[in-house]
Amino acid sequence: MRQDPTLRKARRITRRAALKLLGSGVVVSAAGLFGPTVTRPAHAASKAVTIGLDSDINTLDPHMTASVGTDLSVISHLYSSLVFRGPDLKVHPLVAASWQPVSSTTWRFTLRGGITFPDGEKLDAAAVKWNIDRVLNPATKARITPWFALVSDARVVSDMVLDVVTKEPYPAFVDQLTEFYLLAPRWAADHNPAQEAMGTGPYTLKEWVKDDHIALDAKPAYWGDRMAFQTVTFRPVPEASSRVSGLLAGDLDVILDVAPSDFGRINGSRRARAGAVPSVRSAMVKFNTLQKPFDNRAIRQALNYAVDKVGLIKSLLPGLTAPNDGQILTSAYFGFNPDLKPYPYDVAQAKRLLAGAGAQGGLDVEFDVPTGTYLLGEEISEAITGQLGQVGVRAKITEMPFSVYMDKFVKQHNMAQMIYLTLAWATLDADGLLTLFEKGNMYAYWSNDAFSSLLDQARATIDRAKRLALYKQATALMREEAPVLFLFPQPATYATANTIEWRARPDDWVRVWEMIPKA
Amino acid sequence: MTRYLVIRLLESAVTVWGVVTIVFFSLRLTGDPVLLLLPLGSTPDQVEQLRHALGFDRPLPLQYLVFLEHIVRGDFGISTRFGSPALPVVLERLPATMEVALLAMLVAALLGGAAGIVAAMRPNSRFELAAMGAALLGQATPVFWLAIMLILVFAAWLHWLPSGGFGGLDHLILPVITLATYSSASIARLLRASLLAVRAQDYHRTARAKGLAEWRILLRHLLKNALIPVITVFGLQVGLLLGGAVITETVFSWPGEGRLIVQAIQNRDFPVVQAATCVFAIMIIGVNLLVDLTYSVLDPRIRYAEGE
Repeated sequence: MRQDPTLRKARRITRRAALKLLGSGVVVSAAGLFGPTVTRPAHAASKAVTIGLDSDINTLDPHMTASVGTDLSVISHLYSSLVFRGPDLKVHPLVAASWQPVSSTTWRFTLRGGITFPDGEKLDAAAVKWNIDRVLNPATKARITPWFALVSDARVVSDMVLDVVTKEPYPAFVDQLTEFYLLAPRWAADHNPAQEAMGTGPYTLKEWVKDDHIALDAKPAYWGDRMAFQTVTFRPVPEASSRVSGLLAGDLDVILDVAPSDFGRINGSRRARAGAVPSVRSAMVKFNTLQKPFDNRAIRQALNYAVDKVGLIKSLLPGLTAPNDGQILTSAYFGFNPDLKPYPYDVAQAKRLLAGAGAQGGLDVEFDVPTGTYLLGEEISEAITGQLGQVGVRAKITEMPFSVYMDKFVKQHNMAQMIYLTLAWATLDADGLLTLFEKGNMYAYWSNDAFSSLLDQARATIDRAKRLALYKQATALMREEAPVLFLFPQPATYATANTIEWRARPDDWVRVWEMIPKA
Repeated sequence: MTRYLVIRLLESAVTVWGVVTIVFFSLRLTGDPVLLLLPLGSTPDQVEQLRHALGFDRPLPLQYLVFLEHIVRGDFGISTRFGSPALPVVLERLPATMEVALLAMLVAALLGGAAGIVAAMRPNSRFELAAMGAALLGQATPVFWLAIMLILVFAAWLHWLPSGGFGGLDHLILPVITLATYSSASIARLLRASLLAVRAQDYHRTARAKGLAEWRILLRHLLKNALIPVITVFGLQVGLLLGGAVITETVFSWPGEGRLIVQAIQNRDFPVVQAATCVFAIMIIGVNLLVDLTYSVLDPRIRYAEGE
């Protein structure tokens, strides 16, 4: 067919269009080549650090949040607490210079003077009392009220001395105060502490762009230690692989919750290093001892013998953690029993115990696992199921979202026969964690009078030696009775750019004064 | 025309009311959020206290009536997660979502439109094969994978673009490419099929016989008719993207609507879920209305006047 001239014009147009597209593509790529490399700062030179969090913070109000890893970590840069927990996991003075119990139900705090808020208000005993009263006031609907459930009153003794009276002895009160940050009373009355911040901490809030970043600037004059970083940016990056890419791209300097499978890639790049520390959070399989078959102690012990924890760690979390010592406390906790050992891997013993309990034909049990909640939770549960299968215990895994899992576990009081769970307690005191297994506690699903009695006695005194002796007995009893399948402390994984020296903390806190810039 | 619009608006109001009601009841059937708000280890008393303070212990019909009374005044309650009013929280994220959604749809329309037109006008050519092959790949590629690969290649390996976050043009490029891929692919395929169907019509043959230039035929006659099914799909996709492309926003840490809704659902933040679904419903209805009105522009046979 002879070429129609109008057709040729049409083709020219489309070719032109195609060339335009190609041209703009080249321009964009060229801009990419020259643009970003010029605008993005080299972090080694400037004293700035960008931390990738797995979610944005919910609030800046220190009394309306209990999450250490996100909200409270950011808040700890803006505000001060009476005491803080250092990298050694010990409690150190901050706003409170010293403290002692004046009776078994009264703690006296002597404050370090000379701290004022940027608006001139003094951080004195009256201000601290105001903060405690705010939490105790039901109208505030504070999220941290449970931490102060035993507190009856705060009394100003003098300008810098405050007494806190408790209804019963509260030995771990000071540990709990490591998470309690102090607002300025007058400022809080006409500002919204959830969205704005003005505190006595080392940084001021420069801006908070929801779901994108929080920028902090170091204060020129801070009453405490000098800060190494002038600017701190927290960026919520919910997708784990994006955090790793961000680290490798140089957009992030510190990231947390790194999947062990990414370690090779990160360590192989020449920009960053990945690592892990055993956290204060212990993973376990919790038994519902109020129902068959786990009302039988022999069966519970059998399952403890049937799981090869060392092998599990070697394949899923190599070199990142080690089995718990027959207790859910880790060595960081007050009350940890150093004499206990993990259940050994002994399939023969497991089978003997099961046969003795009349279960030699095998058992069928339900196993609930929350998705996307605990590090490698789904994979660990599957591995455990495989190992249990070898002794004839057939566990059927049901995966579900965390909110549904919590509903079943706590609200409906309808826990499955076995659930995969991790537990920690921020005060690092045995009382907090072990109380979750006390008879009558809605998380317990275990009814042991001897155990409950030991806990009662231990919390009725503030004498450390007495408490340690009681917790020794309680943990030994718990190991023997095995209301859980003891596993291991969950590793806290992290990665840092080579320009920063930092190890993740076992207790989730992320604080820039624990990071050292490397030139 | 006015009567048509009024009727449509009334229908929309009923639809929004239906959406809001269904969301209200289904949220509360899944359980209450109080447990997720308090620290682990809180006693039942403390849980009850907070439940009462937030009003979740009242009978459901009463909660519903109170809820309706508030939303007609624009008050969706206080977000249980953020502690601030829910509707502003939702509206705050809207510009970010709109930026990436509208830009992505623009790119999709131009790219997909161009590819579809050329493929249809040059049937059985190498271009058509390549374009339709690319379109098939584009529709089949999982968004999640594409987003991660783009970040890996352009941010982590080449350091050409940032790995995520909100910002200017360089922050927009990768999310827009990710979102535009699926849309441009489906527009290209749909437009090509539609154009081919329209080209087979008698009026096209008449126009060719009259000696009109191909591109004039295209603009004047073919496109108007071919675009109708494409506009429908385009409208649906714009609506969906305005609601927030969750996966893209999560992978690129883009502070948009989709991420907010999903997190609110996971955290059982009822006020935010309710506000967001209401806003989302209104936007989709609005887009659908625009699409319906566009039909009457494209095809004079479709008129929304009385008596037709």
